Amino acid sequence: MTESVRSRRPRASLVFWGSILLFAALFALLVYRFSLEQQATQPTAQTVQVRKVIKRRVVTTIVPTPGRNSVSSGPVSSASYSSGAAPVTTGAS
Amino acid sequence: MGEYDLTFDAMGSHVRLLIGEPGPGMAPAAAAAEQGRLFVEDFDATLSRFKPESELCHLNADPRERVLTSELMRRAIEAGLFAAERSEGLVDPTLVGEIEEAGYVRSRAGMAGLPLADALVDAPTRRPASPRPEQRWRGFAVDDEAGEVVRPPGLRFDTGGTGKGLAADMLAANLHGYSRFIVDCGGDIRIGGADALVHPYEVFVEHPITGDRAHVLRLGSGGVATSGINVRIWRDERGRYAHHLLDPATGEPAWTGLVGATALGDSALEAETLSKTALLSGPERGREILAERGGLLIHDSGRVEMVGPLAVAPRIRLPEVSR
Repeated sequence: MTESVRSRRPRASLVFWGSILLFAALFALLVYRFSLEQQATQPTAQTVQVRKVIKRRVVTTIVPTPGRNSVSSGPVSSASYSSGAAPVTTGAS
Repeated sequence: MGEYDLTFDAMGSHVRLLIGEPGPGMAPAAAAAEQGRLFVEDFDATLSRFKPESELCHLNADPRERVLTSELMRRAIEAGLFAAERSEGLVDPTLVGEIEEAGYVRSRAGMAGLPLADALVDAPTRRPASPRPEQRWRGFAVDDEAGEVVRPPGLRFDTGGTGKGLAADMLAANLHGYSRFIVDCGGDIRIGGADALVHPYEVFVEHPITGDRAHVLRLGSGGVATSGINVRIWRDERGRYAHHLLDPATGEPAWTGLVGATALGDSALEAETLSKTALLSGPERGREILAERGGLLIHDSGRVEMVGPLAVAPRIRLPEVSR
C-alpha cells in the first residue's frame, strides 16, 4: 500500500521545472498585456510646428562726455501737457 | 504732470518745445514755452531774409561800412562766422546773390518741392563742394563795444540754417533749471535738463528719400541737426533741378553724392554746422568730419551710413525670441 502511493507522486525535478515554466509563461503573458494597455492609453501623435520670431533692434545711446555740455509768423499748431510725448524727429527743413 | 509740448510754425519750418518740471521759483512750463514762442517769432522777424522790414534786410541794404545793430543781429553774425570758420569756408553766409540767382528769392515754406528721386537722375556729376578762394565772409566783423556790425558795403549776409541752430541754443539757455527740455527748430535740436541725462530723449532721424525713420538716437544732452536737399527742390530758369545748399566755389547747388547728413554736437549750432559741412563735402570727407562726434550720412542711393561713435559702439539688443 505504501509502495503504490509513493509511486504516484511526481518527481521533484518535474514539479520544479514545471513551476518555472508556468511562472515564465504567466509572466510573459502579463508583460504582453501590460504593453498592450500602455499603447492604448498613449495619445495620438500630433505634428507641432515650432517657429521662432527673432526681432532685432539697434539702439544707440549717446552718453554725455564729462566736461561737455552735456516776433511775427505762424499760429500755434498745438500745445498740451503729455506724459508720453510724441517722438522728436530731425530732418532737413 | 508730464512735459509741456508746444508746436508752432516759424523760420519757414516747424518749431517744437518740450519742457519738463520747473525748478524752485521758476515759471511753469507753459509760461516758459509761450516766452519761447515769442522769442522765436522775434528772432524770425529780425533775421529773415524774406521779410523786407527785417533788420537783416536793412543791414544788407545799408550803404555804410559800420552799422548799429541789435545784439541779436550781432549774435547771428557771429554764429554765421563761427560756421564759416569751423567749415573752412564751406558753410558760407555771404552767398545771398548766388542763392537768389538759383531761384530761391522768396520763402518756400509750405511749398511742395519736386521729387528728390527725379532730381538725382538729372543731377550733374557728383563732386565735393569747395570754399570760395577769396573767403568774402572774413569781411564781416562784430564790434560789441560800439554795438555795430562792420563789413564792406554791398556784401550781404544770410543766417540760413545757422540761424535755426542759434535759435535753439539761445532758447535752451533760458530753460536751464527745468527738469528736462528739448528745443527743435526745424530739425536743429538742443536737449538739456538733469532728468534728460537719466532718461534720454529718443530722436528719430528722418530718411530724406523714403521719409521713414533711418535711425533712432537716444540723447541726454547737447545738439543734433540734419541737413538735406530733399525738402526744397525746384527748377531754375534754365530748367535744371536746384536746391538750397550751394557749392561756394561755383555758386550753384551742390550735388556731392549725399542727400542728407545728421551730426551730433555740443550745441545745435555746432551740429548744424557739422551736418552741412559733411553734406557739402561728400561721402569721403564727410566721414572724417563726423568721425569725432558721430553722425549719419545718407547717400544718393538711399544707403544709411553710421559714422564715428554711432558706428563704433552701438548697443545691440538681440535676440528677443517669442513663440
